[in-house]
Amino acid sequence: MRPRVKEWKFMLMRIRQNSLALAGLVIILAFVCIAVLAPVLAPPNPADAFKIPRDMEINVLTPNPTPPTMRHIFGTTDQQYDLYYACIWGTITAFRTGLTVVGVSLIIGLLMGTVAAYYGGLLDEALMRFTDIIIAFPGLVLAMALVIAFPATVPINISMIALIIFILAMLMLLAFHPSRKLLLVVWGLLLLSILSMFYFPVSFQIPLSRLDKVLIAITLVGWPGYTRVIRGEVLRVKNEDFVEASKASGSSDFGIVVRHIWPNTVYPLLIVATLDIGSIVLSAAALSFLGIGASPDYADWGQIIQRSSPWINRPTELVANFHTFVIPGIFITLFVMGWNLLGDALRDVLDPTLRRR
Amino acid sequence: MSLKTLVEVKNLEVNFYTYAGIVEALDGVNIFLREGEILGLVGETGSGKSVTSLSVMMLVPPPGRIEGGSILLETGNDKQDVLLMDDSALRSMRGNEISMIFQEPRAYLNPVYTVEDQIGEVMLVHRKPELLKNAVATLEKNNKRRTFEANNYRRMLKAPRSLATRFLQRFGSKKTLKAEVRKEVVKVLKSVEIPDPERVAGMYPHELSGGMAQRVVIAMALACNPKVLIADEPTTNLDVTVQAQILNLVRLLKKDFNSSILYITHDLGVVAQLCDRVAVMYAGNVVETADVFEIFSNPLHPYTRALLESIPRPGKGFKSIPGIVPSLINPISGCRFRDRCSYALEICQKVKPPFVELKKDHFAACYLHGGSR
Amino acid sequence: MSYLLQVRNLKKHFPITGGVLKRSVASVKAVDGVTLDVLKGECFGLVGESGCGKTTLGKTILRLYKPNAGSIFFGAPSDAVNEINNLERTNPKSRRLRRLREQYDISTYRGRDLLLLRRKMQIVYQDPTTSLDPRMLVKDVVGEPLVAQGIAKGEEAKKMVIEILERVGLSERALYRFPHEFSGGQRQRVAIARALVSRPDFVILDEPTSAVDVSVRAQLLNLFTDLQKEYGLTYMFISHDLSIVECISHRVAIMYLGKIVEYSTTEEIFEKPLHPYSQALIASVPVPDPARRKESVPLKGEVPSPVNPPTGCRFHPRCPLAMDACKQKEPDLIDTGNQHYVACFAVNKENR
Repeated sequence: MRPRVKEWKFMLMRIRQNSLALAGLVIILAFVCIAVLAPVLAPPNPADAFKIPRDMEINVLTPNPTPPTMRHIFGTTDQQYDLYYACIWGTITAFRTGLTVVGVSLIIGLLMGTVAAYYGGLLDEALMRFTDIIIAFPGLVLAMALVIAFPATVPINISMIALIIFILAMLMLLAFHPSRKLLLVVWGLLLLSILSMFYFPVSFQIPLSRLDKVLIAITLVGWPGYTRVIRGEVLRVKNEDFVEASKASGSSDFGIVVRHIWPNTVYPLLIVATLDIGSIVLSAAALSFLGIGASPDYADWGQIIQRSSPWINRPTELVANFHTFVIPGIFITLFVMGWNLLGDALRDVLDPTLRRR
Repeated sequence: MSLKTLVEVKNLEVNFYTYAGIVEALDGVNIFLREGEILGLVGETGSGKSVTSLSVMMLVPPPGRIEGGSILLETGNDKQDVLLMDDSALRSMRGNEISMIFQEPRAYLNPVYTVEDQIGEVMLVHRKPELLKNAVATLEKNNKRRTFEANNYRRMLKAPRSLATRFLQRFGSKKTLKAEVRKEVVKVLKSVEIPDPERVAGMYPHELSGGMAQRVVIAMALACNPKVLIADEPTTNLDVTVQAQILNLVRLLKKDFNSSILYITHDLGVVAQLCDRVAVMYAGNVVETADVFEIFSNPLHPYTRALLESIPRPGKGFKSIPGIVPSLINPISGCRFRDRCSYALEICQKVKPPFVELKKDHFAACYLHGGSR
Repeated sequence: MSYLLQVRNLKKHFPITGGVLKRSVASVKAVDGVTLDVLKGECFGLVGESGCGKTTLGKTILRLYKPNAGSIFFGAPSDAVNEINNLERTNPKSRRLRRLREQYDISTYRGRDLLLLRRKMQIVYQDPTTSLDPRMLVKDVVGEPLVAQGIAKGEEAKKMVIEILERVGLSERALYRFPHEFSGGQRQRVAIARALVSRPDFVILDEPTSAVDVSVRAQLLNLFTDLQKEYGLTYMFISHDLSIVECISHRVAIMYLGKIVEYSTTEEIFEKPLHPYSQALIASVPVPDPARRKESVPLKGEVPSPVNPPTGCRFHPRCPLAMDACKQKEPDLIDTGNQHYVACFAVNKENR
C-alpha cells in the first residue's frame, strides 16, 4: 500500500484511540454539517442570507424575547430576532471568521518566519524587531480603532492589481533563477505600481462590512505568533544534514525551502492554527458583544448575545430570558472546545518522538 | 583460587510491549561476573546487551518488562535477587553497590550543576552518616563544639526523620558539611586521574571535554566505592587516543580497587586489550562465554567465529556475515542465528540450543559441539 | 596518473560572534592551511580525531563552505596548475593569473559554474538517519539531484533512480517507501544512491560506516570498493577508524588541529609512521588480539581547542620530541623520500 496512505492510517488510528480527540473531531464535523446544510436547516432570508429574520407579527404584540416554541425552535430575542436562524447561519460566520483570519495570518507568518530564519543575519533581526513591535499592539483596542476609523469602502485601482500580480510572478521567477538584473527589475516595477496608484482613476470600491474590518484587525495583530513558531522550527531544520545534502545536490534556496524545510516544519504550525481558530472565534464574539463587531442584525453568535446585554444586571429578567444567551453560548463553547480538543489531539499524534513507539 | 561470583544473571527474560508487537528483547540470558574481573559483553545493536545491563539495575524503561529469570547479587554473606527487591532496597543498591556509566557522558550530567554538586549528591545519598560524623569531628577540632551547626549535624545523625531535625536543618550554615563533601569529591576525582581536581570540581559539564566528562562520570560512579561497575560503551564516542587513556584508567581501577567491571562494547579490539572474560550476545541470547584468550583462539559458536573473521585485515577485503539480524517480534523458532549460520543443522531450526559448559569454563549455546539435548 | 584534485593552502575559519552587535571576536580555525593532491581513481584516506577539521576540509572542498583562503583545483590540467603556481610566485597581480584562477580554481566558482560542479562532486554523510529527509519518499530523495541540476525529469528520472538503486542493492520496491522504514545499512545505501545518481567523478565519504552496525559495515565497504571499480570513482574517505582506512585507502593523510601532519601511501604510514602524533595515534588503536597486549603509554593531555591553537607546531604541547624551534615556527610538509611527507622539525632534521 502506498506509504503516505499508511502514514495517514497510522495517524487516524492514533486519533481513534484517544477518546478526547475523537470527541473533538466529532464536534467539528457536526458543525461542518450544520454549516453546509444551513440553507436546508434554516431557509435563507431572501434579501441577505446573513440578516436574521424578525418575526414582525409577534413583534407587534411585544418586543420582548419569547421562549422556545414550535414556531421558533430556540425562541427569539429582543426585537423578535429568531435565535435558531442566528445560530445556524452563525456557524457559517464562525467558520469564515476562524478560517480566513488563521489562513491569512498563517501565510504571512510562514513567509516572514521562513525568510527571517533561513537568511538570518540582519534580515532576521529586522523582521523580528518589526514583529516585536506588532506584538506590542493591544489587539482589541486596535480592532476598535480600526472599526471606527476604516472607511466603509476601500478604493482599488485596477492597474495596481495588475502590477502587483505581475510583481509576484517576477518574484517567483527570481527564486528559480536568481540574478541581480531581475532583482532591479522587480524593484523598479514595485516603485512603478506605488506611483501608479495615485495616477490612475479609482476603478471600483470594495465594500467592507463591519465584520470584515474586525477580521482585518485581528489578522493584523495575529500573525506574529505564527512567525515565531515557524522561525523556531526553520532554525531547527536548517541545520539538519539533509538540508546540506540537498544543497550539495545543487538545489536552489527556494527549492530547499519548498521541498525540505516546509514539509518538516509545518506540523507545529497546524497545531497552533487549530487551537487558534477557537480562540479567534471567541475574540470575535467578544468584540461583537462589546458592540464593535458585526452589524446589529448580522447572523453571528457574539452579535446575538449582544442583544441580551440590556438585562445582564437584572437578575429576574436574566433568568426569564436565559435562552437568549445560553443557547448561542453553548454553540460558541462547543465550537471552541472542539477545535481545542482537535488541536491537542494533533499535537499528540504529530509529535515525532511518540510516533513509532 | 575460587573467585566469588558477584552478579549472576540467570535465564533473564525481558519483553518490550510496543505498538508494533511484543519485542522479545532478552530470551534467557545467562551471565556471571566474578570478583575482580573485567567481563566484556560483546554484541551488535539489538543484541540486548544494554537491556541486560539496565535490568541488573532494574532500570529497564517502559514499555519494557522483566518477565522471568533472576539476578542474584552477592551482598555481604548472602545472595539477593534484584528482581524481588523493594524500592528502598533498590535505591540503596544503585550507586552504592552497583554503579553504571553510559555512552554519552554529557547526556548524563546535569548542565546546571557543577561537578562537585553532582558527585556530592551521590555521596550525600549513600554516605551521609559518615560525612556528618567527619563534619562534627572537624568542628570539634576547631573548638566549635557547641555551635548550632554542630548540633544540627548531631541531630541529623541521631534522628534524621524527626520533625525537629527536618525543620531546623533548613537554618544555619552547612559550610562544614559542604567542605567535607568537597574533600571527598576531590579525592575521588584524583583517583580517576583528573588533572587539577580542585578546579575541575567547580566546573560545569559544558566546560569539560569528552574525555574529562567521561572521567567525571566514572568518578561519580565510584563515589561510593561500589563493588560492581557496569560500563555501557563508555568509549564508543571518544577519540581513539582518549579511549586509550580511559582504558588505562579502567585497568587501574581493577588493579587498585579490585573492582569488578561489566564492560559493554562492540569493539573487539577493546575486548582483546582490556577484558579477562568475554560474553558474546546475539539477538537476545548469550551465545558464548569464555576466557578472552580462549575465545580469540578457539571460538566455538559460529557467530563468534564470524565476528572474528569480520575484523578488517589489510589486503583481505571485508568479510561480512550474510543476512541480517532477525526481528525480535515473533522471533523464529530454534536457534536465532540459524538463518545466517553456515553450519546449521536440522535440529537448530526446531529447538533452541541450551547454554552449557562445553569445555572447561567455556560456555556456548550451539549444537555443533555437543550441546544437543 | 593524473591528479583529479589539488588543494593548495586551503583555509576555512568560522567566526565566533559575541557582544550585542554580533561582531566576530574570535574564529574557529577548522582548516588552517592544507595542501594535498588526490589521484584520479584512488581512495584517499583522511584520518584524525574529533576537532581536527577533516569533515570541514571535505565540505570545503565540496564548496558547501566558501574557503577563506587557498585554492582548490578540480579536474584542471596539470600544466594550468603549474602555470598558476609559477605566476603566483613571479607575478601575483597579472591578469592572466586572475583569469586562469577564475577558470580552474573552484573556490571562485559561483552560480551556474557551481551548479555544474555539483554534478561532479558529491558527498555521503555519516548518519543516514539525519541525512535523508524523513518526510520524502526514497524516489524523491534519490531523484532530487536530477531535478535540482536539471539532468532529467519524470519518467526518465525514475528510470535512472531505479537503475542506481538496484546497483546499490535495493529493489524497485524501495521507491515508494520512507527512509525510516529501512534499517541503518539500507538507509546508507539510499544515501549512496543519491550521491551517485548524477554520475559524479569524485565522492567524499564522511565516516560512512560509523553510524552503522558492525555487521553491515563490511557489506557497505565492499560496495564502495565495487562501485569505485565499476564507475571509476575517486574517493576521499574521511574516518577516525584507522583499521578501516588501512584496508580501503591507497594513500592516507593524518590531520591534527587543521593541518596535515603526515601523508603517504597506506603501507608507508601504517608500517613506518614518522610523525610523533601518527605514531601515538596508530599505537592507541586497540589490536583485536589478546596475545598482543601492550602496556602502552597513551598520549598525554587532550586536543586543544581550534579557536586558540598552540603557536608554532600545533602538536608541541603533547609531543615527546618537542624542541625550542617547535614553539616558534610551523613545520612544512617535506618529502622524506619515497613520497612520504611529514611536517615535523625533529623528524626532518634526522633525515637531512
